Formats: sequence, structure tokens, C-alpha cells
Amino acid sequence: MLSIKKLHFAYSNSPAVLSNINLNFSTGNIYGLFGKNGEGKSTLLKLMAGLLFPMTGSCNLHGEPTKKRQPHILKDVFLVPEDFELPSLRIGQFEKINSSFYPSFSKTQFYDLLEEFGLSPSNTISKLSFGQKKKVLIAFGIATNTPLLLMDEPTNGLDIPSKSQFRKVMASAVDQGKCIVISTHQVRDLHSLINHVVILDDSKVCMDLPLETISENLWFGMTPKKNLEDVIYTESTLGGRAILARGERDETEIDLELLFNGVIEAGVKITESINSETHA
Amino acid sequence: MDFDNSKPIYLQIVDFFYENILTKTWQEGERIPSVREVAMMVEVNPNTAIRAFNHLQDLEVIYNKRGIGYFVSDTGYSKVLEVKRKEFKEQDLPDVFKKMKLLDVTFEEVKSAYNQHQNEKK
Amino acid sequence: MHKGFSFNRVYKLIKRDLVLLRGALTTSVLVAVVLLFLFSIFNMIWDQQLSTSEFFGIFGIFYIPLGLLFTFALFREFNDSKKNHMYLILPVSIPERLFAKWLTSTLIYTFVFSVIAVLVGMFAMIVGIIVFGADFTPISLVSVSYWDLLKTYFLVQPVFLVGAITFKRNRVGKTILSLGVLVLCFALLHFILYALFNYSLGVFETDGLGSVAFDKAGSDFSSLGKWFYVILLGPVMLAVAYFKMTEKEV
Repeated sequence: MLSIKKLHFAYSNSPAVLSNINLNFSTGNIYGLFGKNGEGKSTLLKLMAGLLFPMTGSCNLHGEPTKKRQPHILKDVFLVPEDFELPSLRIGQFEKINSSFYPSFSKTQFYDLLEEFGLSPSNTISKLSFGQKKKVLIAFGIATNTPLLLMDEPTNGLDIPSKSQFRKVMASAVDQGKCIVISTHQVRDLHSLINHVVILDDSKVCMDLPLETISENLWFGMTPKKNLEDVIYTESTLGGRAILARGERDETEIDLELLFNGVIEAGVKITESINSETHA
Repeated sequence: MDFDNSKPIYLQIVDFFYENILTKTWQEGERIPSVREVAMMVEVNPNTAIRAFNHLQDLEVIYNKRGIGYFVSDTGYSKVLEVKRKEFKEQDLPDVFKKMKLLDVTFEEVKSAYNQHQNEKK
Repeated sequence: MHKGFSFNRVYKLIKRDLVLLRGALTTSVLVAVVLLFLFSIFNMIWDQQLSTSEFFGIFGIFYIPLGLLFTFALFREFNDSKKNHMYLILPVSIPERLFAKWLTSTLIYTFVFSVIAVLVGMFAMIVGIIVFGADFTPISLVSVSYWDLLKTYFLVQPVFLVGAITFKRNRVGKTILSLGVLVLCFALLHFILYALFNYSLGVFETDGLGSVAFDKAGSDFSSLGKWFYVILLGPVMLAVAYFKMTEKEV
């Protein structure tokens, strides 16, 4: 549905934030976009939404560049940015003036979500805390029912119960017609939600795989005492968590945090072992 | 739901189903929550929930009535019992035996402890 | 989804802008009403009458500056990097966006402001008649001074529209400054053109023949020059605004 080809981007007078990015996003998935701070996660999401323009390369939704901002393309995208301000209106007014632009917007869904987040339509947005404003925009974004929903650090600023609410809401929001991309560095908040991981490092994509492929090929667990040659990556301490080639072992749950650290420090080794096993 | 880090999430969802069926919370022939409801309940990606449903369907613990939803099959309870008994015998018991040997606990001791436990229950 | 230009989306955009700016709008309208009223009253104290041209003089003092400020206010969200994501991501085309902003800041603004101003003027006149026994002169919008004001506004406004789109901070100041630079540039250009064309002729205004030539040239070229500026200030500026909006990133 959305495809990025040979994309290159830099802010004026600074080194490249993203270079030679090639990615494809398809419906029915929740993508987790990971990367260290300043690795261009937010930039990539803004490029996908057509809010920034690639310097070279392309970013196409339904085959048309998002940077053209054509109504029939933009009606299918919504972005919840990490850092934003909302106008000082009542939530109800905010919904009224913005929702009519989105053909699939569901008012009942929006107000149900607000209620679930403990907010009322008569609340004035300027009097809300940042976390609450974020909830308003998350609820709005889900209710637009755009096939492509982009969220930049959605759990940042949410309190602990809201994070669980957020996961519930997202689990109910995704269906076969939707593609959700969530950027985060708080891996723990979202690991049960995503089913495809994209890792950005050094302004490049260094992993882009469905979790299914990863769990077919890698084993996550305590460092075994024997056969250390199987170990692909381990957190220095003995008896710490390690990534092994799965071989004949039982399937384990993917430890995203460990995977992320592994890819950052020993990326080639990990991708090679996945490739060799999938081709074998 | 809190997830154990070592077991794949879909298998943990399967366990959650087993528990509900064994405790008869979900009776045979009864309709169980939909994929979406389960995904929401345990806060996971619906794709993961579908995997759990497919796994259970393959084991014939549940079945799908097109357009209506998923139901516990009539043999669901006995199927689960069978799976769980096998798991107990093949995984839990060997662990217990290993510990018994390590700590030098005799079978007689275990037997009396078991009887005592049963009596306390009554 | 409507692929072409949609008036429905333009209408929704205009409504959206008016709701977003409703606070600023009510305050400025109230201030304008009070000031218009006071100025009209003061005018009548002087000579016990409020002629049409006098009224539109007062009208012009507020109409043009307020309109330009309103134009800037309309683009406040557009240039606020924390708020503009919501506006820029709306499924609306650039021509629709520009048309909505232009329509709001010219036609709609002019209509609303004129109606309010005429009502305030009439009320002031009634007060004037009662208090100072002022003469009654009906205020009519079919007046040359009114339409001249409108023409001026519709020509100057696109320049400020471009300024409002282009500059992020101190937008009014920067626009006026650029306008000043532009005026200087054109003055210089005219001076050079004048020198080029007339140098060899040795024509000076002090000559009897020269003044005739100047009159002729003035009437010949002023219509041409007028069109040059009308096109430059109107459509060209709107085209510039269009491209500026197309290029806008968060």
C-alpha cells in the first residue's frame, strides 16, 4: 500500500537523516518502527504522511507520491505526531471542524474511545495535560479509520493504566484493511501488539522483517552453558539473555529489546543467520 | 495479561483457553469470544490471536461456524484434558522426578504428602 | 471521494478557520465597532455632518489594516510547526486551501465588515442627529470612495497573503519591509527606464514642449502601467502564494 524507494532525506545544512531507505508497508499489519533517539523515526513518519518531502527517491501511497498532498491520497493517512499542540477548543468542537474531512470518520468510535480514556467532549483541550491531549489525538486518529495510521511515540506521556488501554484500543482497531505504523523506543509497551519490526540505525534500515520470520529462525533465552558456538548475540554477562540460531529448538517469544540491541551491535550476524536459514 | 518471556505469546493465549475450558468456564458447545475480543482482552495483535485460534482449531478443541463465531467443540474438554495430561506427564513429572532424585525424596514420602494434601482438602 | 476541485471542502475549510479564530474575531470586531462609532461621532462634532466620503475615510482606516491582520491570523496555524500537521494532513488540495483562505480574507471579510460598518455608521448618525442635530446623509455602498478602497485592498492583500505564508516570525514587519524594498526597486527601475528612454531626447519638464510630452506619456502609459501592477499584485501574487503553499513542509 505504501512503498518507499531509495529515499534520501536531510534537514538543511546537516548530514543525512535517512539515506537509501527502501520499505514496503501492507495492510493487516502493525509495524513497529524502532531506532535510537535522532535516528529519523519521526522524520520517516512525516515523510510517509507527506508532511516532509524526500530529497531524492520516492514515497508513494496507492502508487501516488504523498508529497503532492492530493485529497484522494491524504484521506487515507493520519499521523499522530510525538510533539504537537492542539487549538484551545472544546474536544467536541475540535472533532466537528476536523472530522468532516475524513469520509470514514466514525463519531461513535471517537466518543467511545474518549470515554474509555476518561475524557468528556465538553473538556477544553487547552486545560488538558499533554498525556490527555495525546489521548484526544490518538482517539481522533483511530476514529478517522484511515487505512494508514502513523503514530509517533504514542505511549510517551501516557500513564500506566492508559498504556494498557492504548494496547486494548489498538488491538481492536486493526483489521485486514488497515496498516498501522508505530514508532517507539519503549519496546516493552508495545511488544505484544506489533507483528513486523523495522529497525533504523545509522540513517539506514538495518532490519525489516515480520516477527514470524524472526521467531522461525532465532531463539531467545538464557545463555546456555554448552554449545556456545550457536550464540549469535548475548548481553555480556554470563547467564544473561542471548539470541541463538533456533535450529531444532522450541519456538520462543521474541525479546524485542534484546533483538534491538543485537541488531544495533551485531546486525550483520543476525540478518545473515536469518537469511541462511530461510534459504536453507 | 502478563506475558511470560520465554513462551510464544500465541501459546500463552492457548493456555488461557485451556484453563477456561478445564475449569468449565467455557462449556462444550458454548460460544467463545471472537478473535477481536480475545485480542483486546489480552492486548495483542489480532494476527497473534488468530494463530492461537488456528492452533486450537487444528487440535479440534474449537470449531468455527462461518459468520457466527467460534465454539468449544463437543469433545473439547476431553481433548484439552488429553493434551494437558500429556504435558504433565512429559514435562512436569520428569522435572519432579529430577528434583526427587536430587533431594533424595522417596516415592513413599511423596505418596503420604499427597494423601495428606487430599485429606486437608476434605 | 471527489477528485477535482470541491466547493464542499472549501466551505468546510472556511468554517474550520472561522471556528479556530472565533476568539480573535469577536474581539477585533468589537474593537472595530467601538472605534468606528467613536470616530464617526467625533467627525460629527466638528461640522454636524457625516458625509459619505468622510465615513468611508474612517471606514478605510480600519478596513484595510484589519483585513491585512486578519490575513495574517488566518495563516497562524499554517506557520506554527507544532500545530500545522493537523492542517497540512487534511485531505484537501492546495487550490482548495488557497481559495478558502483568499475567499475568507477578501470577499467574506469585506462583506461582513461592510455590513457591520454601515450599521455602526447609521447608528452613529442617529445618535449624531439626536445629540448634535447633525444633518442626515444616507450611507450608501454605491459610492466611488468605497469601491476604490475595495480595489486597493484586493490588490494589496495578495502581497500580504504571500507574506503571511512565507514568513514564520514577525510576519507583518517582514512583509512591510519586503514591500518597501519592492517599491524602492520599482522606483529605481522606473528611474532607469526613464533615463534610458529620454536621455537622448533631452526632454525636461521645464520646457514648454516637454510638459505636453509628459502629459501625453502619462496618460498613455498609466493605463499600461496600471495593468502591469494589477497583474503583478493580483494574479501573480496568488500564483506565488500557490507555489509557496505547495512547498510547505512541517
